[in-house]
Amino acid sequence: MPFVVRRLLAVAPTVLAVATVTFFALQVVPGDIAEIMLGVDARQEDLAQLRHELGLDRPLALRYLEWLGHMARGDFGMSISYREPVIRLIRARLPVTVSVAGSAMLLAIVAALPLGVIAARRAWSLVDLAVLAGSQVGLAVPAFWMGILLILGLAAALPIFPLQGYVAFGSNPIEWGRHLFLPALALGTERAAALVRLSRAATLDELHRDYVRTARSKGLVEAYVVRRHVLRNALIPILTVAGLQLGYLMGGAIVIEQVFGLPGLGRLLLHGIYSRDLLVVQGVVITIAVMFALLNLLVDLLYAVVDPRITYD
Amino acid sequence: MKSRTAHDLRTTRWAWKLVVLVLVAALAGSGAPVRAQSSRDRFVLALSGGPDTLDPHGTAATLGFMVMKSLYDTLVEPDDEGKMVPALAESWSVSPDGITWTFKLRPDVRFHHGKTLDATDVKATLERILDPATRSPRRLQIGPIRSVEVVDPLTVRIVLEGRFAPILAALAEGWGAILPADLIARKHDFSTKPVGTGPFTLGEWQRDSFIRLTRFDGYWIKGQTKLREVFIRFVPERAVKVAGVLSGEFDAVDTIDPDDLPRVRAHPGVRIITQLTSLVNVVAVNNSRGPLRDVRVRRALWHAIDRRQVLKTAYGAESVPSSVFMDVTSPYWVDLGDPYPFDPERARRLLSEAGYGAGLTLDLVLPQPYQMHIEAGQLVQAMLAKVGVTARPRVVEWAFWLSRVFGGGEYDLTVIGHTGKLDPDGRLTGWGDPTRNYIRYDNQKVVDLILAGRLISNPEHRKRIYAEVLKIMTGDAMMVILGTTIRYVATGRTVREFRQVYAIDSYDFRKTTK
Repeated sequence: MPFVVRRLLAVAPTVLAVATVTFFALQVVPGDIAEIMLGVDARQEDLAQLRHELGLDRPLALRYLEWLGHMARGDFGMSISYREPVIRLIRARLPVTVSVAGSAMLLAIVAALPLGVIAARRAWSLVDLAVLAGSQVGLAVPAFWMGILLILGLAAALPIFPLQGYVAFGSNPIEWGRHLFLPALALGTERAAALVRLSRAATLDELHRDYVRTARSKGLVEAYVVRRHVLRNALIPILTVAGLQLGYLMGGAIVIEQVFGLPGLGRLLLHGIYSRDLLVVQGVVITIAVMFALLNLLVDLLYAVVDPRITYD
Repeated sequence: MKSRTAHDLRTTRWAWKLVVLVLVAALAGSGAPVRAQSSRDRFVLALSGGPDTLDPHGTAATLGFMVMKSLYDTLVEPDDEGKMVPALAESWSVSPDGITWTFKLRPDVRFHHGKTLDATDVKATLERILDPATRSPRRLQIGPIRSVEVVDPLTVRIVLEGRFAPILAALAEGWGAILPADLIARKHDFSTKPVGTGPFTLGEWQRDSFIRLTRFDGYWIKGQTKLREVFIRFVPERAVKVAGVLSGEFDAVDTIDPDDLPRVRAHPGVRIITQLTSLVNVVAVNNSRGPLRDVRVRRALWHAIDRRQVLKTAYGAESVPSSVFMDVTSPYWVDLGDPYPFDPERARRLLSEAGYGAGLTLDLVLPQPYQMHIEAGQLVQAMLAKVGVTARPRVVEWAFWLSRVFGGGEYDLTVIGHTGKLDPDGRLTGWGDPTRNYIRYDNQKVVDLILAGRLISNPEHRKRIYAEVLKIMTGDAMMVILGTTIRYVATGRTVREFRQVYAIDSYDFRKTTK
């Protein structure tokens, strides 16, 4: 079986396990959707009635099996609080979260890689120290705080970027970019700070290897050596960590979506948890789990692109 | 092998810089700021959260009704004093036995899809709410309806199983929205494609982001809807709301935190509207738990807590103290003065009389999403400490609060606000019966009086009954009532008639201008 297919098949049990844990975890937590819907107007008889109508009074095992059956058919079910199919809710939000996390990652890499390499080439110079100090600050500032600062500085005081909201790429690519820039910057800063240190360390590591000395002795231009030889090798550990970081980014996106009012998966998940809308939580968790697995696969495949010595069969 | 020269490298680097520059310019410079496009008939409101669904029968969420009031109408609606006035029903009458309610509908009312309103719509709507398949959380609130009859195209008769005075108020609340019969029959999806008779139609709804309402030119009140468009943005972040109203991007924001007030007040382009809410804020006391069963202990709590201080500090200086379980804006509110004034010495005396002179430890549960209740709880904790009562605070998530505190009675004290109701029965129902209220308050007399109030339709007579109920409840010191709190709303300087409906707080944009 080809590597890709094997990897994809391995995803299924992971996703099932994650979803099952979520299912039972939400059962253990106090509070159900009927209570949330009725709020402080709830009367015992209303609650019992609504629970019955929503099917919440049926045995847990039965509900679990039923849910499994739905899942097997690729049906995420109908959200009770939204009164819409969960799959439709997720489909509407997935592009937002992917846009935020993706552009944050892109910003992080675009900023971190050159900085890391420059810092490594002039190790312990003033430039290097500045980069190290900057990354320390970047690591210490939480993304949501960064987000609020950006909103206050770049959207409210100087009206360069919009305060809130999201515009789909399809409807207006330029507006899409304007709406994404600040969230991506807020989310990307923290990641960039981590990646700077990593790419600096990885580059530094490679710069002292024999092959670099050989390349230099052949009279190659230093920039070429760094780009063609050093970076290629340094990219392997960087790629591994960057792939893992995409997972963090999904988590960070939840917070950032809240700050910037972006209608993404994070806000959907939060709503689902607050309102105990099990099927919504379930659907989002599965989506994120699948995305995570696919990203890891993508990183694995990229190794082969970066370093032709790595092959999969 | 020297495949690239230094010169090549320089050009590529230069090209990269150019690409980055162009990108930044495109991102930053594209288009003028949004506010430049906003015209005088487009109103932008920032709300803390958005609706789950736009099906009025499918939710009990306040945030949903805040938007839905603009899309749908009800048979009757409250005026600014809470009196029921005609809306889709021109007039109504009730049979002497209080069982049959006859509504005369307004002619020439159009739904958004063109159909004219008639009695079949009212019948289909009420039957939809009552149908268990609709799963309406508000099913039991519209009362014991036995049947709905179409008398003629513009007359509809609702027959009850028994007397139920609050029916009129129930029909005026958000879930009483009238939907068109033809679409109900076709199982139309109102949750995302609302069709009502309201002053606005749905323009666009981006879940968790914004909702755009467009004026409905066929609305039955001619010329009243001034705004062409209402754009509601859902902004969970407090700092963003403040920034938005100060920069003029939002024409109004739903609430301003007391901490942000000085900054907002200082801005010349922004006006602060101070409104009384319809909340009754309380320190709820579990009447079934140990020492709290003793009325002397409960009264001691009143004496120990400086209620004015709590209200002022946690909920805003203009909040109004009250000693009864009714919001001060309600016509059913009664003034009982301050029956248990702040007096720590007296609190200590009462406690030792009850046998707790040596002290007492209580479990104080505070609901997580409500910062002001948590703040109030901390003040209460400090005040109780001075009379020897140790309150152990525990902050819990909202669903947990609803389930364990409100549903399970697993607490000694908690701080919460009770939301407004159009009819006093909505506020009071269940009180006095320990199985039906979360403070486990037990008083048969109160139960009987509330039931009597439900059966009588004469408002003056009802007022006397509810005054008696409130007096007994306060006499029992069933919980420490703080009062009705204030809400700070910020709008642009030129905004006029930015209204919220009495008691239920939905937005009514029909007269709003900017």
